[in-house]
Amino acid sequence: MIGTDKIHSMLKVALDLNLGDQADAVFLGSESGLTRFANSTIHQNVAETQSKVYFRVAIGKKLGVASTNSFTGADLKRAYKSAAKIAKVQRENPHFVTLPKPAAYPNIDTFFDGTAKFTPRQRAMKVKSIIDRAGRKNCTVAGSLSSGSGELAVVNTLGVNAYQRISSSSVNVIAMGATSSGYAEGLSRNVEDLDFRAIAGRAVDRAVRCANPVEMPPGEYEVILEPAAVASLIEWVNYIGFGSKPFQENTSFMAGRLGEKITGDAVTIYDDGTDPTAIAFPFDFEGVPKRKVELITNGVAKGVVYDSITAVRGGCESTGHALTPDASGEGGLALNVFVQAGKSSLPEMIANVENGLLVTRFHYINGFIDTPHAVLTGMTRDGLMQIKKGRLKGGVKNLRFTDSILRAFGSVKALSAERQLINAWWDSLGCISAPAMHLGSFRFTGQTDF
Amino acid sequence: MKDRLKIAIDYLKSKGASYGDIRYVRTTTENIKVTNETVDTLAHDVSQGFGIRVLADGAWGFASSAICTQGEMRKVANRALQIAKASALTQREKVKLADVEPFVDRYETTVVTDPFEVKLARKLDLLLGVNKILTKGSKVRVAESSMDFYRTEKMFLSTEGADIEQLITESGAGYTATAVESGEVQRRSYPNSHRGDFGTGGYELIERMKLLDHAERVREEAVALLTAPVCPSGPRTIIIDSSQMALQVHESCGHPTELDRVLGTEISLAGGSFLTLDKRGKLRYGSKIVNIVADATCPGGLGSFGYDDEGVQAQRFDLVREGMFVGYLTSRETAPILGERSNGTMRADGWNRLPLIRMTNINLEPGTAVYSDLLADSDGALLLDTNKSWSIDDQRLNFQFGLEAAWEIRGGKKGQLYKNPVYTGITPEFWNSCDAICNRDSWHIWGVPNCGKGEPMQTARVAHGASPARFRNVMVGVGQ
Repeated sequence: MIGTDKIHSMLKVALDLNLGDQADAVFLGSESGLTRFANSTIHQNVAETQSKVYFRVAIGKKLGVASTNSFTGADLKRAYKSAAKIAKVQRENPHFVTLPKPAAYPNIDTFFDGTAKFTPRQRAMKVKSIIDRAGRKNCTVAGSLSSGSGELAVVNTLGVNAYQRISSSSVNVIAMGATSSGYAEGLSRNVEDLDFRAIAGRAVDRAVRCANPVEMPPGEYEVILEPAAVASLIEWVNYIGFGSKPFQENTSFMAGRLGEKITGDAVTIYDDGTDPTAIAFPFDFEGVPKRKVELITNGVAKGVVYDSITAVRGGCESTGHALTPDASGEGGLALNVFVQAGKSSLPEMIANVENGLLVTRFHYINGFIDTPHAVLTGMTRDGLMQIKKGRLKGGVKNLRFTDSILRAFGSVKALSAERQLINAWWDSLGCISAPAMHLGSFRFTGQTDF
Repeated sequence: MKDRLKIAIDYLKSKGASYGDIRYVRTTTENIKVTNETVDTLAHDVSQGFGIRVLADGAWGFASSAICTQGEMRKVANRALQIAKASALTQREKVKLADVEPFVDRYETTVVTDPFEVKLARKLDLLLGVNKILTKGSKVRVAESSMDFYRTEKMFLSTEGADIEQLITESGAGYTATAVESGEVQRRSYPNSHRGDFGTGGYELIERMKLLDHAERVREEAVALLTAPVCPSGPRTIIIDSSQMALQVHESCGHPTELDRVLGTEISLAGGSFLTLDKRGKLRYGSKIVNIVADATCPGGLGSFGYDDEGVQAQRFDLVREGMFVGYLTSRETAPILGERSNGTMRADGWNRLPLIRMTNINLEPGTAVYSDLLADSDGALLLDTNKSWSIDDQRLNFQFGLEAAWEIRGGKKGQLYKNPVYTGITPEFWNSCDAICNRDSWHIWGVPNCGKGEPMQTARVAHGASPARFRNVMVGVGQ
């Protein structure tokens, strides 16, 4: 950990060059370790110390961005000067007015020392416990366990000085039998909160129960999606629909439909970076405090998330969802997404299905087919099960789905009261908090051989 | 720098590492993107650091740092050794590496015009010029044009005596017009979707693309798609354009021939492979005209290099020969399982990442068909053009691809235009239905700059040579 004072002094050396009208700097630093295992043995074990500084210089409405991972005074100045040089040859961005002004940030505890200091040996011992537990049920396991810490600072010439340190830990486990597999995962800022025994147990139990899967034809099924499956759909729905860029470009299913009912009454989705029950983070990469944003409330399209530039274009204020300066052309993106919980439980949902399927998770989803209708396709993976007369019957060979998620979520029958934190591609800055979901109708369009 | 790396290697030897290597990497990147005549990305990045990989107690350890001092290298070496010892706690068998000649060499991409020396104003003028044509008086709501340039300097030293320097330059560009009307969104791209086409080389690659010449057509096709009928569903004869063939090769042949996937070590994220060891030399992967090679020596390919990140020289070898599945992409650790030496496919996406088996240039070899003759011989077939979506199961069997556009072939020419075409299949069934592949006149090597694999996620730049090909009785659409 470098700490706020030292980072601020380092960045000030460059910002004090004053080559533009305004400038900001983003510092990202991390020390992380990851242990991967497969065939019940560790095959990759890595450690990384990484940091990056982005400078953004504004000359009038012209913006230039340059970045470096070297923190010598000379290299920081060089990167800053590159940003200024780029700004000079840039074209004006009509939607840039000013960098954000200083703001107060909520005090959120996002750092746990034990997680930051979790050693490769500790990770290896946890992995060994997972391997041993699976071995007792004649399963092999694959997966990964990561732990680490990081710090993020945003400083600008208008006085913004934001700093937050974080820790993070996650584990995913695939248990494999001769003919089947099962999956479970865990995510927390505090590694002590991860119940490795329970996570391994869930993966192994699903693999054992799915042995000798049967073939079922593609078609429309009543389904129960477990939290990992729900989150992977939401990850794509978020990407194609909840950000300001697809909204303003009219490619989002939200475009032109705010205030309109777009899916089922029971569906409420929001973003809240300040909720400490998930992977909270108090500000964005422009130093703007994160606001809670209603995305879909009771099935009605309510809003999208903005950074400062797309907010100007949209005639509103930034919601605190800017990405790093090199990705600023992508607009705002929701990184702390919650699907509102219901009142049911997984056993209750299963008991209410006469003939259907339970999906543990999906694989390789793609949402670019038809974004205005939120059509997604993907495969089931690691534990597709048949439900018959209110009971889990056994494993089913994997199926491909292709469906409008708005249509499918329009058939929601129940949501679980319990939610799970699911890792997303944006990693330690947020996650998706999702319940299990009971849908009356979900369209499977293809099948595979296993 | 070289002296510091040598001292680090000597240190690893003194600590008893049975094997060790150190890789210093410095990457310079320039990304430019223009959206609707506004330059929304203009970014320059420099990243440098080193990674140390060691074998101790028969297990791997890897650690990396951006601080390239002698003291930090020693600290990172110790960390890598500690990690290796922790890895050994679950080790069943000690890692054994295939032999490799310890090369002492330097490799450099051939560059005619250094892209980092071309003035920014010139690049912006071209991208803005494209944007202007795409947005001109039309229903195109989003016009995006982009350029990306990468320069990677690498030094690789090993305890076995390898000492390799490489300087690789990569360039790419492309654009997309997105037309929007009444809740309908349609795209057309040039020369390919997903940021265009890429290769190893300099700004001459961008000039060769003749970006301005195609912008008007792209705009008009995007607009025409808004009112085109939905592509009909059902089993059809299809002709797939060469850029989509590249992605088809990528997903259904490139990934499943990665031996680490086959052996299960990527199962937790990307998945495994249906091309299990027992199928090598026995599985009829495709029809007899299907030949697929891995060729890291291919001039200009985005997957071209001199040596991989284990110091193994770039190679060309068969994956599918006359339809039979015959080869894998291997590493020094995995090749001995086949009784072979590595064929040189281990690459990391930076100094801070462990090398993994990655595709190089995985090429569908040209066939004999002349493109115009193929169209003339395919009345009623669908011509599918430019990827829009992609998805495949975790064993690489069931795939589904969406395309930007489809045309029905009538009288040897493009007829009715259709929107939202999708085709789906099972990999070996699909490749066995291939009855024509166009010749070298229609063959192009397409750069894929965003191939994801591994944990932490690594993004590799790879390529696929392909020409248009015809397939029979393929399921088009999803029946809805």
